[in-house]
Amino acid sequence: MEFLIDFLTRLVTQFQTPTLGFLIGGMLIAALGSNLKIPNAVYQFIVFMLLMRIGLKGGIEIREADFTAMLVPALFSMLIGVVIVLMGSFILSRLPGINRADSYATAGLFGAVSASTLAAAMVLLEEESIAFEAWVPALYPFMDIPALILAIVLANMHQHKNSEYKDTKIDVWGIVKDSLRGSALSALLLGLALGLLSRPDSVLQSFYDPLFRGLLTVLLLVMGMEAYERLNELRRVAHWYAIYAFIGPILHGLMAFGLGYVAHIMVGFSPGGVILFAVIAASNSDISGPPTLRAGIPKANPSAYIGASTSVGTPVSIAVCIPLFIALAEVVFDI
Amino acid sequence: MQLHAAEKVVIITEKLIVKGVVEIIEAAGAKGYTIIAAGGKGGHTFRATSERAAVVDDFSDVKIEVIVNDKATAETIMNEVTQTYFDDYSGITYIEYIEVLRPSKF
Repeated sequence: MEFLIDFLTRLVTQFQTPTLGFLIGGMLIAALGSNLKIPNAVYQFIVFMLLMRIGLKGGIEIREADFTAMLVPALFSMLIGVVIVLMGSFILSRLPGINRADSYATAGLFGAVSASTLAAAMVLLEEESIAFEAWVPALYPFMDIPALILAIVLANMHQHKNSEYKDTKIDVWGIVKDSLRGSALSALLLGLALGLLSRPDSVLQSFYDPLFRGLLTVLLLVMGMEAYERLNELRRVAHWYAIYAFIGPILHGLMAFGLGYVAHIMVGFSPGGVILFAVIAASNSDISGPPTLRAGIPKANPSAYIGASTSVGTPVSIAVCIPLFIALAEVVFDI
Repeated sequence: MQLHAAEKVVIITEKLIVKGVVEIIEAAGAKGYTIIAAGGKGGHTFRATSERAAVVDDFSDVKIEVIVNDKATAETIMNEVTQTYFDDYSGITYIEYIEVLRPSKF
């Protein structure tokens, strides 16, 4: 009972934080038909800024980090990414009105990771002064890439089995390259490398760090506007997508929380790290995953998987999952 | 002024597949092409060319124009693009008969 009250209080507070407030604000003004425009160039720059800051900070910390402590969470990330895709495609393909290609693409997108959700969770943890290992965001590609590859490979295998299509080899290395070259991951990896190899501490403190929270609010405003726009597309496809997109993030996050707890016992993964790991698992890709899937699984309907992810999955993982896992961690780890 | 008859193939499609379409165009022997950001309404959905942020930039549309000297090349491009992509990706292609000033350019 106490847990429930704590969670609800947290949820109410969460609605007042700039993070969620801007997301809902974006949805609201889009619903009201506002002409407010955030230019595309600005949006892309913000994605760069956020991931560069996350990367730099992570890279600086990895210098002193114990690599064996990172190994277990990294393996768990891959495991979660794979399990989400297998579970999701298994469930979705059995629901009425969803074909196999769409089920693989949707599950792949939910197995992949959202940079904006990750950034929102980091801001919240910092506000609550819950410490986490700064390398945790570096788990992103370990979950993201296996999930996307598995979804595309499964979809192609399925298509081969049931069709007269001529043999098309799946270019796994091509998918890996595409993912790594995507705008979000490139910035994150470059940041990690710069943090690790150069001495960017002063620019981090004077430039990237102070702008981080403010820019995140603009990003979330854009995400909110996009979520509303995509809702129209989602309405035209099977309603099961919306239900999956609501339950999926919570379930995926809880699974990761369990694994994170195991890592906590095994290698002393911090409670903040467990929360962030659960949020990474709960999140669904909204920036870099969709084009990879569109190219890899062309038969799938983008309205279905992007609608599910952007208009339901992302708001749920930010509004419900982040406060839920923080509340859960407070009970489990007694912080 | 002496003008020469030529064909212009127009392909309006998703930005995501531009790379592949361009390969087809070059393989068919066209010497160049022009790519313009496009928007509007079609069989799938309305897409604005607005300056508003697109969360997924690759999902915006483009208009690709190719000028060629003979109709066979034009038809090859249209056929190849249609067969390779238009089952799975949204797009249209059409031909325009135009006049050019310097036929050696195409």
